[in-house]
Amino acid sequence: MCLLCEQYGDSYERWYFNPANYARRLYKIRKEEAEAAGAEANPQAAGGMAVLGRDFLEAKEKGDIEAMERMKKEAEAGALATHFGQVITLDDALRIIDIMYPITLIACACRRSMQGLPNEENFTCIGMGPGMYKWERWPDTYRGGVQFLTPDEAKEVVTKMNKKGLVQSIYTFGTPYLGGLCNCDYPDCGALRMRLDYGAKILWKGHYVAQIDPELCNGCASCIHRCQFKALNFVPTRNKAHIEATECFGCGLCVTECDQDAIALVERSSLPALANEW
Amino acid sequence: MLATITVDDEKCNDPLSCCKCLLVCPSHVLGLGTSVGPQKFQEIDTSHFILRGVRFDKCTGCMECVEVCPKNAIQVSFDGGKGK
Repeated sequence: MCLLCEQYGDSYERWYFNPANYARRLYKIRKEEAEAAGAEANPQAAGGMAVLGRDFLEAKEKGDIEAMERMKKEAEAGALATHFGQVITLDDALRIIDIMYPITLIACACRRSMQGLPNEENFTCIGMGPGMYKWERWPDTYRGGVQFLTPDEAKEVVTKMNKKGLVQSIYTFGTPYLGGLCNCDYPDCGALRMRLDYGAKILWKGHYVAQIDPELCNGCASCIHRCQFKALNFVPTRNKAHIEATECFGCGLCVTECDQDAIALVERSSLPALANEW
Repeated sequence: MLATITVDDEKCNDPLSCCKCLLVCPSHVLGLGTSVGPQKFQEIDTSHFILRGVRFDKCTGCMECVEVCPKNAIQVSFDGGKGK
């Protein structure tokens, strides 16, 4: 149970299973201040996909830890209020698809910014909720518009993305309003990049941690390429895969790849040292 | 040493349709963004798209972006000074 589950989960086991967080009511009153203040007029924010800019990098180079921590805290607080993400499993994603409406396929902002992918090749994100009608109306502003999906179609898309090796995560647009179900990978996902490169909590860990049963692991190493979080590696001397629990985000991509069923997801809350590590 | 990456917006006038430097950079340093944020309820003008260095700390100085640019619009240097 993370901070968000406590605040916005109501009686649901996870905050993202609470239908209230996808409601039109929330969409209408979502925070306008950041946009009105021109936060998006900043070229780095509006497409640069880097909440931490050159100032942070210069401080980092100089070794000015205090400045770095201060800038990170500001960025994290801003993200938490307006736009941040949390990793979920494929099963979580399939459950969420049954809750929200409408469901669309939209172009990925991060991949367009980082790779310049043309919209036609870039429809890799799931957009959710009434905001999607705005995207339908002004496709050029919103990167090629939307393709409306039935729940079954959406589940098929997400399952395919997961099989391909993309991590499912959910994003708020005016916390706690959930508007995006993304299929992320490093280095093209802005949030993943910020989190892994600089430790900025723009993307939170999920509610699970993966663990390997060493007796079942046969050292085939087929899981190794699945981890986008640098938490999984192969140990030649033991002929086993290794998961660094403190680095694991609980996305479940390694779990589904293992032929031996040697990897399992355990609840983050069941591990005292990791229970509050997001 | 942080790279200083400068893009001449007059030469790089339609990055959205080009993106050559974006695609060639091995470290994904560059980013395609807009000089105005998405204006609510309006179409975005393609002329508002800009190309900028973003992840300067990842820039190795390979200069692939400089060489691939058909307009010579991008410059990379390591002599200090403010990047954009």
